[in-house]
Amino acid sequence: MARSLKFNIFRYNPQDSESTPHMESFVLEETDSMTLFIALNRIREEQDPSLQFDFCCRAGICGSCGMVINGRPGLACHTKTKDLPADITLLPLPVFQLVGDLSVDTGSWFRELYDTVESWIHTKKVFDPAAPEERMEDEVAESIYELDRCIECGCCIAACGTARMRPDFLGAAGINKVGRFLIDPRDERTEQDYYEIIGTDMGIFGCMGLLACEDVCPKHMPLQNQLGFLRRKMGITALKNFFGK
Amino acid sequence: MSLSSTANHPTLNARRMDGVLDWAQMLSGVGLIAFMWAHMLLVGSVLLSPAIMNDIAEFFEKSGMAQVGGPLIFLLFMAHFVLAARKIPFRLENQKTIWEHAKLLHHADTWLWVVQASTAMVILIMGAIHMWAVLSDLPIVALKCAETLQKNKWWLAFYLLLAPLVHVHLGIGLYRIAVKWGFAGRAERKGLKRFVNVLILVSVGISVLTLFRFWFMEA
Amino acid sequence: MQTIYTDVLVIGAGLAGERAAIEAAQAGFSAICLSLVPSRRSHSSAAMGGMQAALGNCAKGDGDCPDVHFSDTVKGSDWGCDQEVARMFADNAPIEMRRLAHWGVPWGRVVPGKGSYFKGGKLYDKEEKEENRGLINSRDFGGTAKWRTCYVSDGTGHSVLYTVDNVCAKLGVEVHDKTEAISLIHDGATCFGAVARCLRTGELRVYLAKASVIATGGFGRIYPGTTNAVICDGGGHITALNTGIVPMGNMEAVQFHPTGIVPTEILVTEGCRGDGGTLLDVNEERFMHVYEPEKQELASRDVVARWMTHHIRQGKGVKSPYGDHLWLDIRHLGEKHITGKLREVYEICTSFLGVDPIHQLIPVRPTHHYSMGGVRTNKDGAAYGLGGLFSVGEAACWDMHGFNRLGGNSLAETVVAGGIVGKKIAEFLQGAEVTFNSAVIDAEVKKQQERIQNVIRCKAGTENVYKVRAAMQDALFKGANIFRTKEGLTECIATLQETLARARKVGLKSNGLGVNPELSAALKIEGQVKMALMLSCGALNRTESRGSHNREDFPARNDRDWLSRTLAYWKSETDDLPTLKYEAATQVFHIPPGDRGYGKSEIIKADAKAESKGE
Ligand SMILES: Cc1cc2nc3c(=O)[nH]c(=O)nc-3n(C[C@H](O)[C@H](O)[C@H](O)COP(=O)(O)OP(=O)(O)OC[C@H]3O[C@@H](n4cnc5c(N)ncnc54)[C@H](O)[C@@H]3O)c2cc1C
Ligand code: HEM
Ligand code: SF4
Ligand code: SF4
Ligand code: FES
Repeated sequence: MARSLKFNIFRYNPQDSESTPHMESFVLEETDSMTLFIALNRIREEQDPSLQFDFCCRAGICGSCGMVINGRPGLACHTKTKDLPADITLLPLPVFQLVGDLSVDTGSWFRELYDTVESWIHTKKVFDPAAPEERMEDEVAESIYELDRCIECGCCIAACGTARMRPDFLGAAGINKVGRFLIDPRDERTEQDYYEIIGTDMGIFGCMGLLACEDVCPKHMPLQNQLGFLRRKMGITALKNFFGK
Repeated sequence: MSLSSTANHPTLNARRMDGVLDWAQMLSGVGLIAFMWAHMLLVGSVLLSPAIMNDIAEFFEKSGMAQVGGPLIFLLFMAHFVLAARKIPFRLENQKTIWEHAKLLHHADTWLWVVQASTAMVILIMGAIHMWAVLSDLPIVALKCAETLQKNKWWLAFYLLLAPLVHVHLGIGLYRIAVKWGFAGRAERKGLKRFVNVLILVSVGISVLTLFRFWFMEA
Repeated sequence: MQTIYTDVLVIGAGLAGERAAIEAAQAGFSAICLSLVPSRRSHSSAAMGGMQAALGNCAKGDGDCPDVHFSDTVKGSDWGCDQEVARMFADNAPIEMRRLAHWGVPWGRVVPGKGSYFKGGKLYDKEEKEENRGLINSRDFGGTAKWRTCYVSDGTGHSVLYTVDNVCAKLGVEVHDKTEAISLIHDGATCFGAVARCLRTGELRVYLAKASVIATGGFGRIYPGTTNAVICDGGGHITALNTGIVPMGNMEAVQFHPTGIVPTEILVTEGCRGDGGTLLDVNEERFMHVYEPEKQELASRDVVARWMTHHIRQGKGVKSPYGDHLWLDIRHLGEKHITGKLREVYEICTSFLGVDPIHQLIPVRPTHHYSMGGVRTNKDGAAYGLGGLFSVGEAACWDMHGFNRLGGNSLAETVVAGGIVGKKIAEFLQGAEVTFNSAVIDAEVKKQQERIQNVIRCKAGTENVYKVRAAMQDALFKGANIFRTKEGLTECIATLQETLARARKVGLKSNGLGVNPELSAALKIEGQVKMALMLSCGALNRTESRGSHNREDFPARNDRDWLSRTLAYWKSETDDLPTLKYEAATQVFHIPPGDRGYGKSEIIKADAKAESKGE
């Protein structure tokens, strides 16, 4: 009954002068409830201990394990082999710097993003340890959290045609991040400030609406709605600026 | 502690045009859609009777709209090209990337864009030829169109190719404007897609019927 | 070799590490955090439930204050904690929650009006006050007198970590991710920083710092099954224990959770049982009512976990390729309840197991969850034994949890302790003059380079690191699990000693070039086995049951002989066993040892007449 699974895995170790990019096949017996997390670890422990890949929480919450699974970027840890054909092709996420085999450097990419979009609350208020907290409606808090849920797995970036062609494109995750602060009443930045960040082809106007981001996001972030909202908002600011001068 | 500071990015004026250009791109597309539908109905009116088509065409010519509007549309057409071309990968490397990307991803909307960008290039050339041919040979009369088609089979083939390409490009464009600007949200996306599919089929149907009407029109 | 200088080197970029780094940065010092993964992927992000702080804003938290929180924490610890530390923690927690709100955490807020809540499957009413509208809300968590757990929907750790990391980005706290500290640089009195391995290239780097902080989180991965992330492997602890002078505190204090799913041991909430779910064995029969006729499945966490393990040992477990397990049955709760109130459970089951809990059984078994023990520090977070070395977060034994930590207290500890210890580090740096001794640095680098080369070249042998690791995990699973006996622990220690010998002979199968994962595992294995030995030796010595440390042969809590904290040293690299010392659990008693009010109640009082002391 158990299937025999064939994994075709991208192999390349940039630190090994003898290594060249190629595909390598591994065969495994499928077991009950097998996920790619289990399968890849078994391959590493039983067949090739040099195989590189990234897992951390293995529960779909940390965003470490993004890879291209039979053509689609997704989280390996919550992908069950049961849902895949017996031939499984795994590639590292494109766009990001390759570390080796299936492991890529999403950390540097996102760190740069934080600086570009200044992903923190901008306020002139100073924290007073003796004072009670400022009030906020629960609804507002929930809508902020809805946009804060992104786990920075990079799947939306890897799936985005625009991001693949333009290295400076902020991607859905980046644009969404700005949206998160834009709706946060604690952030004192103005629409104009946000416009400076994403009102360009590097930001919202670079997005071509291919919606691959929306379709691959493992957290089902409301990317389509968010991109549409911000394009309208920033579009209006663009017109104001254009005709205002 | 104080957590002050505001966003202070260097402002590049060139970058600030991106938003305006995006509007212009969208509006040029919408303008062309409007024109294409009008155009389709005008030419399609031949299905009802050649006389109606002639009357409408005559109206446009008498009022000077064809002479002035025609070149304006041509300008709009070129403007749309220039604007949209900002997004077309002209460098081989990028073309390869997007092509491989689309093949790998198995993702319908990404293919839609590839289809849109490639139909665009064909429309650019064929549309220009068509406009030049029509506008340099006014007035527009049903019989003359029929004659042109019947005299040279290549023209029929030309239009049989151009019409579907335009409608596909137009339909996808409509869909993408709706999702890009958020006129259609997550919940509406599926329905919108179905609507656009039907729209494309109907439009292509009308256009093909029109062409055959010309083809079989008695000289 | 690249050498990087900084005022503070924080090993670990989870909540605790980053929070401490922020404090130093705000005082004007440069700070660098190292992390195995991008900071936001640290395991703090996995905590869904929430953080405890006595804000008392919600109706069911009315009248709460740090005193009550303190008392819950001490009882929870089974009087194993340092009460001064627990006090500081409880007092500062509300301030820290408000600070996080100021920084941008979208805390759940109080919505005034009538509402209802479930408890034990029954519906109750409550009403939130208008005057508290929009203040930080709290939810219920086990072992607390009041609703005290601040939360952000089902992603508290995630949201708080992202916020704190944003503040780091703002303040210019550097995070060097994909960087693994492999040893501390020290001269026997002062710590100068660390040698680290770059997980992008495999190269070594030297970090020199006036103050170094170990904030590397838990070490659950020395057990075969744990709810901890795969990076919670004790790498930070190993750097400390390898100094020979920094002790680990209370390594035997390990918390287990009854319902980790099999395989992958992801946690499913206690709510399943609270709402009426049952546990079944291989014959799909209930068994808890046999062991605990009163409370059945609803007995406390440690008790249920204990009986489950017992039942599996009786051969009643379900065999699977991933080891024996039991079943959790929630089918009778019905689709509406499962996809509504237990949605999270439903999602975990469907996306990770492919099991539909509405119609199918969920495979579960007791699973390692939290390590109370760790790098022993004083109340300022300064590690014992080495100047300039600090520790904070789950990695540390600061010690507010004693022998059992309360749900919601560890996530809160990361930020509260991070703030307190961070301030102390800044004070320490204010006057610190450090001269880096280049001989010491060079020697440490050389030692690490040699170690790496030896493993790659199989100098000491060709033991397979994964097999050795499995042997260690298996030994702990068998001997130092939920309930412990002299026989079990003695056998466990013997096996671990064999395993230690094997660990010293590990050699690579692969070429070890670049970011070789086999090499990463091999560099840690000896240290991990040493930690496992500290844990099991501490457990064998401690002839009592306290909190989550359950000795079947010594079921009473013994305040007369064991109101103490274990300090485990690995004095010399070549030792085969740790050296154990003890210190008083707490210098100050705000609450004298007494009854917790739940769990078993047999206590040998501190003033009881002395018999012969255990081992
Ligand atoms: C599934 C689960 C749910 C939980 N839920 C809750 C809850 O609801 N409430 C609660 O209070 N607690 C909860 N906890 C416990 C709590 O989440 C942790 O105790 C806490 O987050 C630990 O934070 P930390 O900052 O100490 O460590 P972590 O967040 O684990 O960070 C450790 C850091 O150290 C780095 N690191 C490790 N080793 C090295 C090395 N050798 N070199 C360099 N860097 C290294 C890592 O990369 C990481 O950045 C939960 C735990 C689990 C497992
Ligand atoms: C009858 C003629 C045409 C019609 C009705 C039409 C219509 C449209 C519409 C409505 C859009 C969507 C606009 C947007 O996304 O903002 C679009 C996009 C596009 N058009 Fe056209 N178009 C026509 C001709 C052309 C021509 C000649 C080109 C030449 C190159 C072209 C190239 C493109 C491209 C590349 C896009 C995609 C832009 C993007 O992805 O943002 N189109 N078109
Ligand atoms: S938006 Fe979705 S796909 Fe993109 S990084 Fe965030 S979680 Fe991943
Ligand atoms: S919608 Fe925009 S961001 Fe998303 S994949 Fe398409 S181009 Fe990229
Ligand atoms: S390992 Fe954390 S999301 Fe997959």
